[in-house]
Amino acid sequence: MGRQVAIASAGFSEHASKRSDVSMPELVSEAIEDCLKNAPSVELGDIDAFVNGNMPAFEGSNIPELWMTDWMGARNKPLLRVTTGGTTGGSVAISGYYTVAAGLPGVDTVLAVAFEQQSQGDTSVGLASVAYGEISILNTLGIPYERISRLLSAGAAIGVAAYQATTYMNKTRISEEDLARVVVQNRRNAAKTWWAHLKMPNLTIEEVLDTPYVQYPLRYGMVCPASDGACVMLFTTEEKAKEMCDIPVYVNGVASVANESAVLGYDGSGSAQIDPSMQLGAIRSSELAYKQAGISFPRKEIDYAEVYAPFPNQQLLWTEKLGLFEEGTAPAMHEAGITDFNGELPVNCSGGVNSTNAIGASAMERPAEAALQIMGKASNQVPKTVHTSIGSGWGGSLNLITLMAMSDQPQRKWR
Amino acid sequence: MQKVGIVGYYQVKLYSDANYGRYEMIFEASRGALDKAGLKKKDISTVISCTNDYYDGRTISNCFTVEVGGGYMADESKVEMDGAHAVLYGLMRVLSGNHNLALVWGGSMASCYPYHSARLYETDPTWERPLAYVNDITSAGFQMRAYMEKYGVTVEDIAKVAVKNKKNAAKNPLALKEAQLPNLTVKDVLDSGIYSDPVTELMAAPPCDSVAALLLAPEKQALKITDRPVWIKGVGYSQEPYYLGDRDLSGCKSMNLAGKMAYAGAGIKDPSSEIDVAELFEACAHEELIFAEELGFAKKGKGAEINSAINGDLPINPSGGALGGHPPCGTGLIRIIEAVKQLTGEAGQYQVKGAKKAVASGQIGMCAQNNILYVLEAN
Amino acid sequence: MSEEKVIVANKGLVRADFAFWVGQYLDKFYDGLENKKIMGNKCPKCGDVFVPPRKICGQCNVVIPLEENWVDLPDTGILKNFTITPYRINDRSSRKAKDWIIGIVQIDGSNTSIIYRLLNMEPKDVKIGMKVKIEWNENTKGDPSDIKGFIKV
Repeated sequence: MGRQVAIASAGFSEHASKRSDVSMPELVSEAIEDCLKNAPSVELGDIDAFVNGNMPAFEGSNIPELWMTDWMGARNKPLLRVTTGGTTGGSVAISGYYTVAAGLPGVDTVLAVAFEQQSQGDTSVGLASVAYGEISILNTLGIPYERISRLLSAGAAIGVAAYQATTYMNKTRISEEDLARVVVQNRRNAAKTWWAHLKMPNLTIEEVLDTPYVQYPLRYGMVCPASDGACVMLFTTEEKAKEMCDIPVYVNGVASVANESAVLGYDGSGSAQIDPSMQLGAIRSSELAYKQAGISFPRKEIDYAEVYAPFPNQQLLWTEKLGLFEEGTAPAMHEAGITDFNGELPVNCSGGVNSTNAIGASAMERPAEAALQIMGKASNQVPKTVHTSIGSGWGGSLNLITLMAMSDQPQRKWR
Repeated sequence: MQKVGIVGYYQVKLYSDANYGRYEMIFEASRGALDKAGLKKKDISTVISCTNDYYDGRTISNCFTVEVGGGYMADESKVEMDGAHAVLYGLMRVLSGNHNLALVWGGSMASCYPYHSARLYETDPTWERPLAYVNDITSAGFQMRAYMEKYGVTVEDIAKVAVKNKKNAAKNPLALKEAQLPNLTVKDVLDSGIYSDPVTELMAAPPCDSVAALLLAPEKQALKITDRPVWIKGVGYSQEPYYLGDRDLSGCKSMNLAGKMAYAGAGIKDPSSEIDVAELFEACAHEELIFAEELGFAKKGKGAEINSAINGDLPINPSGGALGGHPPCGTGLIRIIEAVKQLTGEAGQYQVKGAKKAVASGQIGMCAQNNILYVLEAN
Repeated sequence: MSEEKVIVANKGLVRADFAFWVGQYLDKFYDGLENKKIMGNKCPKCGDVFVPPRKICGQCNVVIPLEENWVDLPDTGILKNFTITPYRINDRSSRKAKDWIIGIVQIDGSNTSIIYRLLNMEPKDVKIGMKVKIEWNENTKGDPSDIKGFIKV
């Protein structure tokens, strides 16, 4: 059952804190144009089906894919909508993969579209209502809604991520300077990526540490921005991909294992995981995806990784949880330059989510960049030849994860 | 298309104001589906949920439902359309060969939010939404009028659909109590108060509370799990353009295209003679007639001439359809479950005798902008 | 179940401001509305004229360039469809005293339609296919409410 799926192209729109020159559908069509530019033999009319997703609470528009039908080229075509919060982009990419893998008659080429135009809405309200139902009990203790929403949100769920940061720092004994070092690397890489948001080619560690705390241990200089932007990927069969591009990227493993809802747990009962940096979902997702992809030694077999890290501590955390480095060794690996642009296992050379965060799109931008690195078409293309790469997503209330493992060799072991 | 079977299902009763918490309802549905199939939580490979952030009043509406929906440490995702679309994603995951058991659940509690205000957020915020003239209420009126004008169908013809469905709902123990009206007449429907001329209150599907779930497995596993799997022979889905002025509201092109795609997959050449029963998600009574025509059960404009009663030539919505209760995000899923019940002989008082092939549909958007259709067959 | 008892009740208002970017095509259209003019744009391939203007023609999947293909259109149009409702969408719980007649009107020269109220008419006067004309607001601001509604020609 099933069949091999390949990525033939990926495209982006310009990302900025306010894309005031375009409406939502126009933002999406900009990214679609960029995607099709990278696969010149494909026209919009050749697409058999579409998958679309974003985080609807942020723009005040429910199921907006209905409105943007014509702008996507989806008139009278099959269209599915998948949204999973922060991991939406990754989930849309995964459902693009499944739509092709399922092999429904007549559905061979699929366009996966993920976007966000956060400047249109009130992000902190959107984020706070993730858990408001659970924590409304705090209102009875006299804590007003505004205080609760600031506690949980700002940037991208910083409140919940801060707990993850402190537990990780405790385990690995890293300092804020180590975090700042990761941020500097990201911002400098973003400066070489045409579509990224925070481009700072000359940023220094001191400048990062010289900003006030948002919430310990994360400072303003360390957090991701809120961006407007869209990302599009083109999925198709092995045969068609060979006609569409020089180096098709084969999707060999996908997983999105959910962990239990974090921090407060169900109804504030505190039944959730004690250590939010444990991330069992990520560990299990990587087991599943690597098994599907035939990857036995991720540290050696994976050439490039885009991990979803709005905050610098997560860039280190995910490389461990996704099996690239041993537990607790990521900071040392980073300091030794292994994850540099010129390193053995470059990580986040697009600047990562830390430099560009259009929430609905960012989890798709990770596998998109990872795929482009294999194709040799990435904006900040690493010098080593990339054969196998991974792109991950993270979101929910610390409990949702997406992972896609890709390679320039198709996975021949069929179920 | 390889054979995938529906091997278990469960539907919580429809309530207008359920005495349940959201999580309890989701758990009852997911647990019930597993129990019906005789399976355990650890057998689940993937979970697809269907909820809507605006309806549930919470962003990322699936992140706290992971535990109750059977998704803990399972490969899970969420579709934000109708429950029937979530079944499609579950189907794709099984067809890919990566998963052997997919649990799909969907539904919401319409008593907890203002349904029509939430629907308003679907509209184009840059042009149509500020004045709110086009919304789900007026769209229904536009479509009914367009259909009547073009084919000369009368309000009585359409009211008869509402009468039939509410009578059928009275035979369905899980339908919404307020929609179970065995003694309803055409006059009652026409006098029930204008919703949006010419649509009257009783012609519009009533939003309510419920959650439903079903299980999908590939052929080999399906035959081991149950001796009455229902096979998905074909599926089709399509989306029309958004603006009402771009569409021909007297018909439904997306249902037509979805039907073509599904029939092609299932090898159906003459739907009106090959299909034994249809469960169609009709948000308004006139939609049932339009869909029946687009699916090839009658010529254009002649939908009212089909004998669609439970013992008629081509029974449509023997369970009462969406007019028997419409839990947003769950209605399409329930239509699939009702079609399954017809094919396994479990439909009780509204059983269509000898049903072997069925269609089930789901929709999303104003005037059914995006439709999905399944062709199901008994084992 | 025994009688319902309220355990905890939280009442309050959460303010969430949304501001939607209309994009450059609609921006030009709203400038036109402010001057009491209807502007549409034309697909270079199939010739369909869109009101309000769009970047993409959904049928042909081509981009209509921003600076070209603009068409000036008259204030008049044909009524394609209508409905009458007592409900205001945000207040469905009460029926308003006077029903609103809402119509789908195709502006002469365009291939799409716009949806507005029909003013100064009784339901029995409304016929599909009748000619109607825009009634503008006295003070236009460059937003959808500049068109008050449509009246009989």
